Amino acid sequence: MDVILPARRRGARYLLATLLCIVTTLATAPLRELLDLANIVMLFLLTVFVSAAWLGRGPAVMAAFLGVALFDFFFVPPHLSFAVADAQYLVTFAVMLAVGLITSHLTALLSERTEEARAREHETHALYDLARELGSALAVPQVTEIARRFLDRLTLDMTLLVADTSGKTVSFQEYGGRHLNELGRNFARSAYDRATIVEADSLAGMGMAIAFLPLVGPTQVLGVLALAPRSDDVEQLRSQRSLLEAVASLLAITIERVRYADSAQHSELQVAAERLRTSILSSLSHDLRTPLTSLVGLADTLAQRQPPLPESACETAGIIRDQARAMHHLLSNLLEMARLQAGNMPLNKEWQAFEEVVGSSTRLLAGVLAGRRVEIELPPDLPLVFFDAVLLERVLCNLLENAVKYSRDGARIRLVGEIREASLEIAVDNDGAGFPADRTEQLFDLFARGEQEPAVAGTGLGLAICKAIVVAHGGTIVAENRPGGACVRFTLPLGTPPAMEDEESP
Amino acid sequence: MSETQTHVIVVEDEPQIRRFICDALQRDGCASFPAGTARQGLDEAATGKAALVILDLGLPDMDGLDFIHNLRTWSAVPILILSARSAEREKIAALDAGADDYLCKPFGIGELLARVRALIRRHWQSGENHPQHRFGDVEVDLLRHIVSRNGEEIHLTQIEYRLLAVLLANSGKVLTHRHLMHEVWGPGRSEQAHYLRIYVGRLRQKLEIDPAQPQHILTETGVGYRFQS
Repeated sequence: MDVILPARRRGARYLLATLLCIVTTLATAPLRELLDLANIVMLFLLTVFVSAAWLGRGPAVMAAFLGVALFDFFFVPPHLSFAVADAQYLVTFAVMLAVGLITSHLTALLSERTEEARAREHETHALYDLARELGSALAVPQVTEIARRFLDRLTLDMTLLVADTSGKTVSFQEYGGRHLNELGRNFARSAYDRATIVEADSLAGMGMAIAFLPLVGPTQVLGVLALAPRSDDVEQLRSQRSLLEAVASLLAITIERVRYADSAQHSELQVAAERLRTSILSSLSHDLRTPLTSLVGLADTLAQRQPPLPESACETAGIIRDQARAMHHLLSNLLEMARLQAGNMPLNKEWQAFEEVVGSSTRLLAGVLAGRRVEIELPPDLPLVFFDAVLLERVLCNLLENAVKYSRDGARIRLVGEIREASLEIAVDNDGAGFPADRTEQLFDLFARGEQEPAVAGTGLGLAICKAIVVAHGGTIVAENRPGGACVRFTLPLGTPPAMEDEESP
Repeated sequence: MSETQTHVIVVEDEPQIRRFICDALQRDGCASFPAGTARQGLDEAATGKAALVILDLGLPDMDGLDFIHNLRTWSAVPILILSARSAEREKIAALDAGADDYLCKPFGIGELLARVRALIRRHWQSGENHPQHRFGDVEVDLLRHIVSRNGEEIHLTQIEYRLLAVLLANSGKVLTHRHLMHEVWGPGRSEQAHYLRIYVGRLRQKLEIDPAQPQHILTETGVGYRFQS
């Protein structure tokens, strides 16, 4: 590698080396009588050394040969002739040539290394600057601009392809102004998929990107850096490969950081929105519940007045109370649905006995269920199940209330539990008209009703809430007709309950 | 208002709700003291005459929990919480802080008076200790560690017996899961909450006529259990 002077001045360097040799000869010639030949050899070796250090390897080698020739011609007897009187000078020539060649080689090597080190330092410095600039980047377009400026200095054009993994298949968004053609995109995809550099030398000279570097970040491949050299020099890319790889990895880290910053900001917004929703829901719940509580209580007060009101007034008070309670029921369902639909209602799941929610639901609905024959069949040794008791109680209450609503007085309502493979299946059925045959699927949609013309009070919220709760628990729910009635079945996945040490018998 | 009447403090910021609660209490023979703020409620309680405090958790001037903590530092008077049905966490925190029972809004006067009477009865009986208990056809003799149904002895394990004893000692009161775990298994076992569910189930199998629809060891869903004789 010619490092000291630019290539176009190569001829001049050989000329300079020649001149140096001639100057040495001219300067030494008058001292021929005073100096020993061995010392004159030293002066010629010095010339070779200077040539090597200053002009590089080629001129130094030439200086070594020229030096030997000049020494022979002017200084070794017979003078002004290449003939050698004493054969021992041949040894001198050989040593002189060897020392000259080795010196020139070592010196040139040293300066090459120095130059390499300087180049590497330059590279490192450039990368450091790039890293610092990227450190302040906040968005991908900014990153692109910084990378474009850097690669511009290397006479490279670039396209940055950032992978978007949010969809089902990976798509790329291109940055950097130059758009890739179909072929280029295919190469880029292949580099992304395999996470290795893809080089397309065959495309060189067509102004197209020919090197595709995957942006391999700490956790994932983030995209591809496509490079097109402005000259058609394929070698240029090869020689700078390690630098370019470093650039690619810096870009990857930056893009990943920018993304995390984005998603952190996004989730912060989400948390704020969630907090707002929760506070609206809870204040709504409080503001609507308070007057309903007054209504129920005041209606009761009227009904229990001493001395008693006329019977019809008592009856009216009772109706007011029942209607207020019904409205509260509706309100609870609506609020519950709003919470469930937000999709991130935390479930308060615990390992517990399913019988308990069955017992508490039937106790809560004791008044409603009074006119029906309720049969409960649960397997005797049901394992603990992992669920949110409050929500499951709501599911059972809704199903039992529906069963009451759509059956006649004295009808049978059954709640049956069975273990099927890895889940607990609960069926609530009632004797009655059943569901409309073609609409059992839509029953679980919000505000769907069993009958087109609602003859029975209700909003169609109940089953939608049941479905949301069951699905949140990882189960399924279906409605079906059976001979002489309707049935809703839902499942809850059974897991492995935590172990328990049994106490020793006393 | 005679001195022999039972004093009940009603701490509720909604005047309509406060009004019908006080009306109902007075018809039931209690002397009611309405308080619109926590401050007023505490001042009223400081007279030391109250046999019960009815407390709405959503007060404007003080967090309901702080009210309970404050009151519990110097008084053992029963506290009945008024709370929304869906606010399990709130109820658990209030019960753990020292409240005795809760009532979900909206509530009928019948429910309210039933709770009030049960708590007042407990309050007057708190000084007396009975080694003998009776519920349904089950008899428990805590003195001799004997549980029997219709004269026939029922064998309970040590833990089942301890659990039953805690429930009996707090008859009518809601006990949170955490409180029961702590009383029966001792501190530091809260990660084994499923033990409690299993032992309650076993106790029901042995003592209830229909364990699936218990009449005495009742589930307070999401909160805990309540024993009702």
